[in-house]
Amino acid sequence: MAFYADKDYTEDQAVLDAMNAVMQGNLSLHWFDAHTEKIKGRPRDPRRGLVYQDLDIGSYGYTDIPESVRTSQSMAARGSEKWGKLPDMGYLVNRKSDVWSDNVAALYEESKARRWAPALDIPWTELDAHPLAPALEAACAQLYTFLQECAAVALDFPSRWVALINQEFIEQKSFMCAQMLDGARLLEAFRKRALYGGAGLGRANVAAEQGLKEWLWADEFPRGSLAINLALGGFLLALYRHIAAFAPTRTDRAIMGFAMQDAARHAAYGAGALRYHLAHQPEERAELNAWLDGEEHVILALLGSPELIEPLIIISGGGLEAAQVRAGCEAALKFIRLVAREYFERLEAAGLGGRVSRSRLSAIVSRVSI
Amino acid sequence: MGYLATKDYFEDRDFVDKWLYTIRTGELDLSWMKAATEKVKPHAENPRRGLIYRDIDLGAYGYSNLPEKVRRNRSFAPRGAELPEGLPDAQPWVSRKSELWAHNTDGYYEEAVTRQWNATTDIPWERLEGVELPEATGKALSQLMTFLTEVEMIATDTPAMWLPRLNPEFIEVRAFIAAQAMDEARHAEVFRKRALTTGHGLMKASPMNEMALKHLRDADSFSEMSVALHLVAEGNVLTLFRFSEFLSPTDVDKRIFRLVMQDEARHVGYGMQHFKWVLEHFPQKREVLHSHLDEAENISFASGAATELTESFIVLAGGGLKQENIAQGVKITTAFQLKQMHEHFERLDKCGMPERKSGDRSRLWNMFEMGKAAAAEAGIKF
Repeated sequence: MAFYADKDYTEDQAVLDAMNAVMQGNLSLHWFDAHTEKIKGRPRDPRRGLVYQDLDIGSYGYTDIPESVRTSQSMAARGSEKWGKLPDMGYLVNRKSDVWSDNVAALYEESKARRWAPALDIPWTELDAHPLAPALEAACAQLYTFLQECAAVALDFPSRWVALINQEFIEQKSFMCAQMLDGARLLEAFRKRALYGGAGLGRANVAAEQGLKEWLWADEFPRGSLAINLALGGFLLALYRHIAAFAPTRTDRAIMGFAMQDAARHAAYGAGALRYHLAHQPEERAELNAWLDGEEHVILALLGSPELIEPLIIISGGGLEAAQVRAGCEAALKFIRLVAREYFERLEAAGLGGRVSRSRLSAIVSRVSI
Repeated sequence: MGYLATKDYFEDRDFVDKWLYTIRTGELDLSWMKAATEKVKPHAENPRRGLIYRDIDLGAYGYSNLPEKVRRNRSFAPRGAELPEGLPDAQPWVSRKSELWAHNTDGYYEEAVTRQWNATTDIPWERLEGVELPEATGKALSQLMTFLTEVEMIATDTPAMWLPRLNPEFIEVRAFIAAQAMDEARHAEVFRKRALTTGHGLMKASPMNEMALKHLRDADSFSEMSVALHLVAEGNVLTLFRFSEFLSPTDVDKRIFRLVMQDEARHVGYGMQHFKWVLEHFPQKREVLHSHLDEAENISFASGAATELTESFIVLAGGGLKQENIAQGVKITTAFQLKQMHEHFERLDKCGMPERKSGDRSRLWNMFEMGKAAAAEAGIKF
C-alpha cells in the first residue's frame, strides 16, 4: 500500500470520544459559520439550465483562479473553507496557463448536451438493407480498425493526466472526463461498425501507433494537449468530415456526424488551451516550436500509413476500378492538403504562427501530387 | 520526452516514397486486405435495445474468449485485429482478466451511456427561485454538498488514473471506467451547483474524510482499488444518497439524489460483480483483499467520525437545531450509519466473503455489533 490513513480510527480514543459526543446530541457546529462567500447562483437563461458559467462568481468562479495555485493540493472544492490537515494529492499541474482554455466550461456543458448512444442512435440495420461490395466493406473494416486505435489513444490521454491536475481546475477536469467518455463511445461505435459489416477487423497500424504513443507519452501536459487535442483532434475532425462526405452508407454518415461533434470539441479545447498557454507563457513559444519540429513526423505517420490511406482512397472513389481509384487518389490528395492546412491554421490562430515555412510537414505535403 | 517512436517518419525514405507513389499512381499495396482475421456477422438480438456489445461477443472479437492472462496484445490495437511486428507496448499494468473483470461489465457500460443525464438541464433549478430554507437546514445541506464534492473528486481521479494502466484488450472494462469518470464529474458538478444555489455557498472541507479518502486512490492493484472504491466507498455513498433523498428539503434535491443514485448503483453493481469474479477466479488474492478491506473499513469508520458530515446530517435529518430536532436527527443518523454497515457486510457476504462478519476478522464488524446493541437499547430501528 502506498498510503495508509494517518491513524487507525477504530482504536483512537479521541476519535471515539468525539463521535460519541456527537451521537449523544452534543454538536460542535464548528462548520456552521464557515468562512466562505455567501452566494445564491441562478440560471441566467432558464432555457439553457444552470451552466458552470452562471456560477463564475467571486471565490467560486474560474475567472479568479490564480495563475499559480499554491495553497490548495487537496480534494477540497474551490471556494470552500480549507482548514486542518488536508492531504497533499501530489498534483503535478498547478499552473492555470498549463491547462486552461477560455472555452473549457462551455465545451464541458456542450459535451453533456450532445450525448449520444452508439447502440441506439446509429441506424445499424441500414447495413443489412444496403450491403456494400466486398472491397468497399473491407476498406471500411480497415478504416474503422485504424479509428479504434486512434480512439484508444485519445481515451488514454485525459485518463493519464486528470488525476495529476489540481482540483481547483474543476471545469477543465470535468471536460477531460467527458473526453474519456467520448473516447470510449467512439471506440465502441467504430468497433461495432467494423464488425457489423461482416469483414471483421483489419490490420493494426504500426506507424500510427508508434507515432501516437510518442504524442501520448509527452512529458508535459501543454505538449501532450497540443499533440492529442489540437493535432490528433484536428486530424480526426478532418478525417471524419471527409468520410461523412464520401460515406458509402447512411450508417457511416450517422457515425461520422456524431464523431465530428466530439472531435470538434477536442480540437477547440486544444486550440484554446494553446492560445491561453502562449498568452500567459510567451517564452514557451520557442520551446514549443522546437518540440513540434521533432513531433510533426507523427502527422506523416498517420497520413502516410497504407492502413489508412489505401482504404481512404477506396472509400473516396467508391471501389477498386481504375477510375474509382483515380478519383479516390484525387480526394485523398485534397484530404492530405486540408489536414496540413487546418493544422497550421489552428496553430496560427492559437498564436504559434510561422510554422508553414519552418515545418518539415509542409515541405513533404507540397511534394504530394497526382 | 517520454517516448520516441522507433523512427522519425520524415526520415524514412521508403515510407515517404511509397506514400507519394501510391497517391501519384493509384497503385495500391492492399496487403491489409489479406489480414488474417475472423469474419463474423453480428446482428442486434433485440432491435429495440440496439446493437450492444453483447451482440458482438463473437469469436476472437468477443470478451467471452478473453484468456486469463493476456499475452498476445499489449498495443493499442483493437481486440481481434491482425497484429503486425513493430506495434508499440502501451505499458499496461493489468493484463490479467480476473484482476478487473466482472460479469455484465458490458451491460453496465451500455446502461451508463444510455442513462447519461445533464446536471445543467435535467435538474429543475428554476424551481429554487424564491425558495428560502431555514438557516440551519440550508447550511446543513450546503455542508453535505461540500463534503460530497470532495468525495466525487476522488471518485473521478481514481478510476481515471487506472484506465490507461488496463490492457487495451479489456475494451469493455476501460469503457465502463471512462463512463464512471464522467458520472463522477457530473456528480461533483451537481453537488457544487446545488451548494452554490443555497445562498450559503460552499462550507468547510473535511480533513478527516479527505485523509481517509486518499487511501482509495493509492491502491497496489486494480482489484484492491475496486473493492475500496466501488464496493466499500460507493456502497456507503449509495446508502448516503438514499437517506439524503429521504431527507431532501426540496423536490430539486430529491431529483438530484435520485439521479446520482442510478449512477452509483451501477458502480456498486460493477464492484460487487468484480469482487465475486476475482474471488472465484483468483483465489490467491483473497488474503490480499482482506488486508485491503481492513484499511478500507478503517476509512469507512472515519467518515462517521468526521463531525462536518455527521453533524450536518443530524441537523438535516432533525430539521433544525432545537433539542428535539437534534434528538430526532441523532436517531435517524444512527439508523443511517448502522444501515451503511449492515449493507456493507451483506454485500461482502453475497460476493463470497461472509467471514468478515466476525470480530476476529473485522474491527468494523465489532463496531457494528456494539452500535446495534446501543441502538436497540435506545429503541432505534434500522
